[in-house]
Amino acid sequence: MPGSAIFGRGHLALHGLVLLIVVVAEAIGIIRIPIGIAAIILLPMLYAFAMGIALNPNITRATGRVLTPTVQKFAGGMITIAITPFVAKFGTTVGPQIDAIIAAGPALLLQELGNLGTIVLAFPIAVYVLRMGRETVGAVYSIDREPNLALVAEKYGLDSPEGAGIMGVYATGTLIGTFVFAIIPVLVHATGVFDIRALAMSCGVGSGSMLAACTGGLVTAEPENKDLILGLAGASNVLTYATGLYVGLFIALPLTQWLFRKARPDLY
Amino acid sequence: MQTENLKLDIEATDERRIRVGETAILLLIACVIGTVANYVSTGVGALEAFPGMAILYVCSVVGLMLSRFLPFYLPSVAWVSLIAIVITIPGVPGADWVVEHVGKINFLSLATPALAYGGLALSAKEFAIARTSGWKIAIIAVCVMLGTYLGSVIIADLTLRLLG
Repeated sequence: MPGSAIFGRGHLALHGLVLLIVVVAEAIGIIRIPIGIAAIILLPMLYAFAMGIALNPNITRATGRVLTPTVQKFAGGMITIAITPFVAKFGTTVGPQIDAIIAAGPALLLQELGNLGTIVLAFPIAVYVLRMGRETVGAVYSIDREPNLALVAEKYGLDSPEGAGIMGVYATGTLIGTFVFAIIPVLVHATGVFDIRALAMSCGVGSGSMLAACTGGLVTAEPENKDLILGLAGASNVLTYATGLYVGLFIALPLTQWLFRKARPDLY
Repeated sequence: MQTENLKLDIEATDERRIRVGETAILLLIACVIGTVANYVSTGVGALEAFPGMAILYVCSVVGLMLSRFLPFYLPSVAWVSLIAIVITIPGVPGADWVVEHVGKINFLSLATPALAYGGLALSAKEFAIARTSGWKIAIIAVCVMLGTYLGSVIIADLTLRLLG
């Protein structure tokens, strides 16, 4: 491909750097830190992300010579490409579990509404504890990943208070989401209250890296149910692509806005 | 809050305009890195992993092309998932062979490269937004993730209990 920039020096250096990070991360392997009856499970993808941040030119000036803003933008595009084989692998875990998935079908469909749990938990904290303004509406109505961001951008604009709310949570979530999803599900699992199928299918609620971290933790905690966990999580993730936008557009966003008008009429 | 001047340029990547040839090559690079990751974590060599990786690669490329060329739009990740699901349903010709070979690829090792790119890709703006949004937004971010996950777990668990 003559004239194409994708084989430039910086781009190749990027792939080389990623390869190096990946080898180091996988060589360290999974680490379990026992805390009481539960354990915090650290996955290679977490070290890879942390090393990526440590070598990010905005943190370490030295890498800025090769990782120019153009190369960084390209790296952003590479996330989507690199996650695609992972998505394919996840799909192949769904097919063999099709009977278990059909059996859990009603739960799988209804748990999509569980995404509204963000409003139940985060709305009161934002409004009554932290006394936040209209940023609340953008911030708490969903898990704030790309499709949700697009919806707020279209309805309020990203320069509105609602837009600032979702952008803040989006950027923060990008930084800490993988860590949160590696840790929380394993701790919830350790309570022993919930069905492993429920814990697994709820892994599909967020981004691809959240899905990976969540299932990685659960599989490490319960290796004998690996196939079931992956199959249900994969099916739920596919379902979220289909329903997520509509739940946000027709239920979650109007509901959050209505709640906010009731709670803080002075701000409208 | 000084977020007014900090707009993220999330260009909703128009998948209809993605160059398929270029993406196919980049996918190949991602698969090579994934194969190395798989080797380091599981000890499965490149030759043994090859059929499985090739299947995942083909699913990815076909999914991308369907998203690009079909008259109605569905995101490429959805296509990729659907293809991978269909070819592994028991009874579909070749399903056992596919399952056997992709079984040699560790799913966690395929997520590692994406997160390495992710860490390196974070822009000055993303760091700035996360920094200026302050501690309130950080607390809300955790509540949002916790609430979404727990809400989903509780409804799924209740439904499973009621319906067996």
